[in-house]
Amino acid sequence: MPRKLTDILAQADARLEYQAMGKPPAEPMPREVVGKPFPRVQRLRDLYYDALSSATNEFPYWYTRTYMRLDNEVPVVRRALALETAFRHLTPTIFPGELLVMGKTHHYRGSFPMPWLSEGYYMAAENQLYQEALARGSASADVVSTFGSGGGNVTKSFGPVVSIAGKFGIRKEEVPAMLRVAHAWEGRSVDDVGHKYEQMVPGYEIKEALMRSVACMFDSGYTLPQGREVVNYYYPLQFGFDELISMAERKKGEVAGHPGGDGLIGMNRLYNYEAASHVLRGVQAWVQNYAEEARRLEAMEGESAQRAEYGETAECLEWIAHRAPRTFREALQLSWTVHVAVLNEDVISGLSPGRLGQILWPWYEQDIAAGRLDEQKALELLECLRVKYTCLDCFASMGVVGGVLSGNTFNNLSIGGLDRNGSPANNRLEELIIKAAMTCASTQPTLTLLYDDKLPESFLLKAMECIKTGTGYPAVVNNRTGIEFLMDQYGPEGMDLEEARAIAIGGCLETSPCSWMPLVLNGRSYWIPGGSGQPTSVGVHFLSLPKILELVLFDGIDQRTGLRVFPPHGGTLASYEDVFDQVKAYFARAVEVLALANNIQHDVWRKNNMAIFNSLLKPDCLESGHLINELGYRYNATHNVETCGTINLINSLAALKSLVYDRGFISIAGLRKALADNFGFKTADEVGSFSLSSQEKRGESTEHDRTHVECLTAPKYGNDNPYVDDILKEWEEWFCAKCREYESLNARPYYACQISVSTHAPMGAVTMATPDGRLAGTTFADASMSAYPGTDRQGPYALFSSATCWDHAQSQNSQLNLKIHPSAIHGRAGTKKLLELTRSYMRKGGFHIQYNVVDSRILKHAQEHPEEYRDLLVRVAGFTQYWVEIGKPIQDEIIARTEYEGVQS
Amino acid sequence: MIAPSRHMHCRNYAPVDVVKGICHVTKGIVRADDDACPSFDCLPRCAECKRYLPSEEQYIGICSATPDRPMTYPDLVAATCEWFEWRNG
Repeated sequence: MPRKLTDILAQADARLEYQAMGKPPAEPMPREVVGKPFPRVQRLRDLYYDALSSATNEFPYWYTRTYMRLDNEVPVVRRALALETAFRHLTPTIFPGELLVMGKTHHYRGSFPMPWLSEGYYMAAENQLYQEALARGSASADVVSTFGSGGGNVTKSFGPVVSIAGKFGIRKEEVPAMLRVAHAWEGRSVDDVGHKYEQMVPGYEIKEALMRSVACMFDSGYTLPQGREVVNYYYPLQFGFDELISMAERKKGEVAGHPGGDGLIGMNRLYNYEAASHVLRGVQAWVQNYAEEARRLEAMEGESAQRAEYGETAECLEWIAHRAPRTFREALQLSWTVHVAVLNEDVISGLSPGRLGQILWPWYEQDIAAGRLDEQKALELLECLRVKYTCLDCFASMGVVGGVLSGNTFNNLSIGGLDRNGSPANNRLEELIIKAAMTCASTQPTLTLLYDDKLPESFLLKAMECIKTGTGYPAVVNNRTGIEFLMDQYGPEGMDLEEARAIAIGGCLETSPCSWMPLVLNGRSYWIPGGSGQPTSVGVHFLSLPKILELVLFDGIDQRTGLRVFPPHGGTLASYEDVFDQVKAYFARAVEVLALANNIQHDVWRKNNMAIFNSLLKPDCLESGHLINELGYRYNATHNVETCGTINLINSLAALKSLVYDRGFISIAGLRKALADNFGFKTADEVGSFSLSSQEKRGESTEHDRTHVECLTAPKYGNDNPYVDDILKEWEEWFCAKCREYESLNARPYYACQISVSTHAPMGAVTMATPDGRLAGTTFADASMSAYPGTDRQGPYALFSSATCWDHAQSQNSQLNLKIHPSAIHGRAGTKKLLELTRSYMRKGGFHIQYNVVDSRILKHAQEHPEEYRDLLVRVAGFTQYWVEIGKPIQDEIIARTEYEGVQS
Repeated sequence: MIAPSRHMHCRNYAPVDVVKGICHVTKGIVRADDDACPSFDCLPRCAECKRYLPSEEQYIGICSATPDRPMTYPDLVAATCEWFEWRNG
């Protein structure tokens, strides 16, 4: 029987505490709050549960067919014509019972590849394109990423279905054409063209080595060039498509031939308006095709209620295909239509609707007042919206969709916050949005509460009740800290306090710049918020901090692959300061090279593959005639450096400082040997588990046992211990300031971004043992401010003190996830306790906290019996996902997170 | 011998995913590859179009609707195609 880590710790009278602040009840306890949707929504959600993630070739086919025949057309118009053709030819499908219609493709849970961005990754492993992608490092993350085998993931081919990119199923009849289309982009995609030019960056070999060693996880320029941003529905909602087309046509007349005082890009305005007009017409035709399908179904439908619904759907679509919405339902349908249209324009994750309850408030308020709508009908529509959002899939590589996103699409809906005058912005529709999220639990849209002390207690308690459903939403984000960050980052572009109050979260928790737009409905004026910035999470993604430390300890060589990543530093690491300084030096060198390469990729993207539809939605593109590629957005300082494994780095530095330099317990050479030997343990892959406590010794040797125990029991983050927290503070202050030194392709400073999403699993999988006692291949601590599982022993308030030892407003975000047993916050008193806990973190200046309210024993059971848990939702790191659709490394990590049995101070 | 029509080639078939869909007539779930019922209503797709030309390669054809005669494939749905005309219409 192999010895386990727990045995070794027990021998040393030490242990990791996976349960804190008490013991759980004897029997596993289900979640206290369980909701139930309307019957039609239940059926539609059940249909989702049974639906496979399905890919088609329709959109790429029509896009490519048009694009390839337009040589020498102005690039933006060429792309617009391709998009128009593709939208016009999408096959409309409407499913019985749907009140909201339209989707990415004709499948219920459909998506499609966009080979104009990247084409090699979804080829078969033996295909030359795939092998080339692997060789250049862009597919390395795919190899170490996994999906959950349950749910709708098509991880293997079967019958008439071919599995591609490890997740999506495509009909075999479409595969030859899909490959033909992909090959048409060989040497032309953003990936391929960008690669040609990024190699001209001095020191480029470091970038390739960083990717191959998975010290860096992915290039945003050709994988997810947009997203992690807040969409803006204002223009279609206020003007309708006909008027927007007229505006574009009028503007063409105004600018044709006029440089407008700008000799560089002034003339481009004509082509941009022409492009906008084409894409708008394509989207309009797409809506009209759905309207015609609804009429067809109405004509053939025998059942009277369903026939009437098809008729209402047709009427709604026929109206919004041309004009501004009149009713709440039309406004809701139009916002959804616009959302999907943006998603079909590019590979996007994290396109957030923003403060939808405040955006749609004018229609809701007036419909309720006029008796056209009641709360029950609104609730049913909001539940339908949840199902539509949940059906969204993002087609990207295994490394991106599996390794980074865990299959999630991050459509984050923000609630609460302040209005432009600084008063609470919550409303009754937002309460219904919370209610719909409880009655129709699903992954999308996830919710974020923009916490502000001014928000009414009753509203905050409703949000806390929702958290108790165990879905992990709403996450709670500090409104004031976010505003402070926005003012700092976007002040040079003109943001003032009033504008900063329009804040919303884009993607999982990217603080995004937004603006207030003046809306008039039936003579009444409103100010509605909407996104006005470029994608807020593009740039250097993700950098593995524990891997950087590994490279420091081993003089620049990746221990998994043997690759030399950095030139040897040659230092003896004679002091703790030497180690920390070298970590900073390697980190800075990595960001330097990655930022330059990334700038080139995004530049290639914006030259040939620019956003047109998304651009025209954002202020001030329609007014100025400049799209995203010409900095037409109001805010453009949105590139950042995103890290992973912060806490394992900090804990490791603390262990090094304590054991090697302060106490002299072991030499740096001795520690290197213990790490190289994985403290005498097997690898996580061999054991088949990715959490620390399950790891097994390789043999009987006890050579490294004492060292390992010392590493594990060295001071750890999360216990209000200045020995560690001072290291964190030093790192954060250096890191946040350092990021500002790099310049994005928009000639704006980068900033720090600290969310791990799912990368802590694949990046942990390729990283050797770390000085904090973590073993090779096991998952890092999640997020950026979460404690490493089992090491936060002093309760949540001590954890909060550690987390807030630095100023969170210096970073776009930071992330703290907490797992709480349902019994700890049971009943009305428990809800208040949860609010007090949350409030305490916010008042300390913490940026973000979210909770997993679950009994870990249920998760363990679900891991063994996934077939019984198709609807089980958990919070990962910034997003909620179905348990069965996430990979085992992340499942192991969530199970291992410290479970708080009480939350009292 | 003519292969029997399949559910997935019927206009009444709303594709849930790559292997199944909902029949708008019966409201039930049907399998994409199963034989269609008497209510079968043929879905416009390239294979049914008079402008579609087959090629040597399986699942690949040519669209003769435009002068550049681009590649297409028989199962491409043509319900929204401006050039579609029934082959046997």
